[in-house]
Amino acid sequence: MNQVELSAVEKHYGEYHALRNIDLSIPEGAFVALIGPSGCGKSTLLRSIAGLEQISSGTISIAGERVNDVPPRRRDVAMVFQSYALYPHMDVERNMTYSLRLRRRSADLIAAAVREAAATLNLSGLLGRYPRELSGGQRQRVAMGRAIVRHPKVFLFDEPLSNLDAELRVKMRGEVRALHERLGATSIYVTHDQIEAMTMADHIVVLKAGRIEQQGPPLALYDRPANRFVAGFIGSPSINFIEGAVTADGGHVTWEGLERPLSLGRRLSAAQRVQIGLRPEHLAVATDGTMAMVVDTIERTGSQTIILGRCGGQPMTVIDHGRPVLARGDNLRLAVAPDHIHLFDPDSGAAV
Amino acid sequence: MMRRTIPTLIAVALLGFYLFPIYWMYATSFKTLTEAVQYPPTLWPSEPQFHHAEVFQKFSVARYFVNSIVITLGVTAITVVVGTGTAYALALRRNLFVDLILFTILLLQALPASLMVTPLFVLFNMAGLLNTPRFAVVLAVAAKSLPFFIVICRTAFLQIPRELRDAALVDGNSNVGVFFNIALPLARNSIVVTAVLIAIQTMGEYVYSRSFIAKIELQPLTLGLSNFIGAQQTDWIGIMTFASILVTPILIVFIFLQRRIISGLTAGALK
Repeated sequence: MNQVELSAVEKHYGEYHALRNIDLSIPEGAFVALIGPSGCGKSTLLRSIAGLEQISSGTISIAGERVNDVPPRRRDVAMVFQSYALYPHMDVERNMTYSLRLRRRSADLIAAAVREAAATLNLSGLLGRYPRELSGGQRQRVAMGRAIVRHPKVFLFDEPLSNLDAELRVKMRGEVRALHERLGATSIYVTHDQIEAMTMADHIVVLKAGRIEQQGPPLALYDRPANRFVAGFIGSPSINFIEGAVTADGGHVTWEGLERPLSLGRRLSAAQRVQIGLRPEHLAVATDGTMAMVVDTIERTGSQTIILGRCGGQPMTVIDHGRPVLARGDNLRLAVAPDHIHLFDPDSGAAV
Repeated sequence: MMRRTIPTLIAVALLGFYLFPIYWMYATSFKTLTEAVQYPPTLWPSEPQFHHAEVFQKFSVARYFVNSIVITLGVTAITVVVGTGTAYALALRRNLFVDLILFTILLLQALPASLMVTPLFVLFNMAGLLNTPRFAVVLAVAAKSLPFFIVICRTAFLQIPRELRDAALVDGNSNVGVFFNIALPLARNSIVVTAVLIAIQTMGEYVYSRSFIAKIELQPLTLGLSNFIGAQQTDWIGIMTFASILVTPILIVFIFLQRRIISGLTAGALK
């Protein structure tokens, strides 16, 4: 059974159309990431599921029950906020037990729940502290603790890691995912960081301007982006886009300045204009490559070399996993496999 | 050295300037009548006298005091109860309507008591409220102090991040519960400080009491004080003694709450 089900959800703020025809089914135990640029509606969608926003039309169901008119407190969802939203006037223990105390659970049950959550999150020594006495990472863990003591039907995460420094963020990414594996509860995770989404989620929903652009397993989105937007949003460094056209025989694609057309390995209608998408990691530096590239900048990270330059007059980023000896102005040859060439309609942006 | 001394001297001088009247009031209250009016005046009473008990009894200070406390408690209670709810409601939403309400509230506060007193007298008289004159004063003063209270407390509520309210709602609280469990405790300092300031102000209220309260048994301290000023002569010792009895409890409250008042003014470090 689907734990969370959204159908034809719309949200208007006056003139502003925040969510457009959102259909989403989230099976029990799934970890779903909602991603998109700021203002795409991902937080609004999450807040609508929590009941903090009223949707304008459509239905939201949790565990088979229509919850459109159910207030947040009766939806049995827990939420972790970007700012953590810890109650400043309560210590860690009272922060974590607030929801249980509101539900008038027995003292034994509350104590056991706190002990368990504190042990899981390494908070046992901090239960008497106030939020202002904690570091950013500790606050984040208390916010998680406040959610897990409840054993809710659904966990909602609103960019919970974006206030942490880079190192801690990577560590917590793993911990949140491990926690999800252990608790097995349905989780919906909002982020603007596609790496977070790719590494943590079973299912990614890409939103733009209130509309779902594409949804599916992370690798499906990476391998078969439905449109130009998804292709550009997923992958880092981002995909290279070049304005080009299919050749007269329909089996190749080319752009002005490219000496030899690239073979597609499939037939398309001849001479149509397309946008060509080539991921930096799919471009290989090879002496027998068909594309000539002039190097502008080289960035070395140790594990890989990012080469920025121009290929047939178009800017191009290439990732090489070796340590090639290169300098500005050098000439390279690049090769790409036919099934790594993404094509998009230049007007609609849809994949061709 | 000089850079720190001069500002300190200026601060001490200003402090003396502000505190001197209070000192003078206390000093005079211990003087004899002759010493009080002698020229040049003495800075320190040469033969300290205690008129306080005598004045307290002779001028029924206890009765005036009870009336002042009744009025002050009434005003503070109404202001805090009505004002806190209003301030919270006005902090929850931001729109043109709310701005309009706030503007109206601020505009109403700008009207001075001396201007309002005549229409209020007529209104209260017609409504029969002048039969309970202290209640009439409470209503009038509360109406006057509410805007100030609402504006200050609304700011305190606005400083509470929206996500805290959201978190409490998701955690299982109702809107009313969020107000009592989250918003009130976090805005507590501002509410207490503003309430104390209003209480102190009400202790010194004169205009409405003078106009509405005819019966001497129901008059507050401020009216009692003005009774000393006669057409022929003014009992300076009596005034100063009476005034020091009036001011002392206020000063004590202030000293006790000083720490909280200062922390209330710097509150807002919610993160």
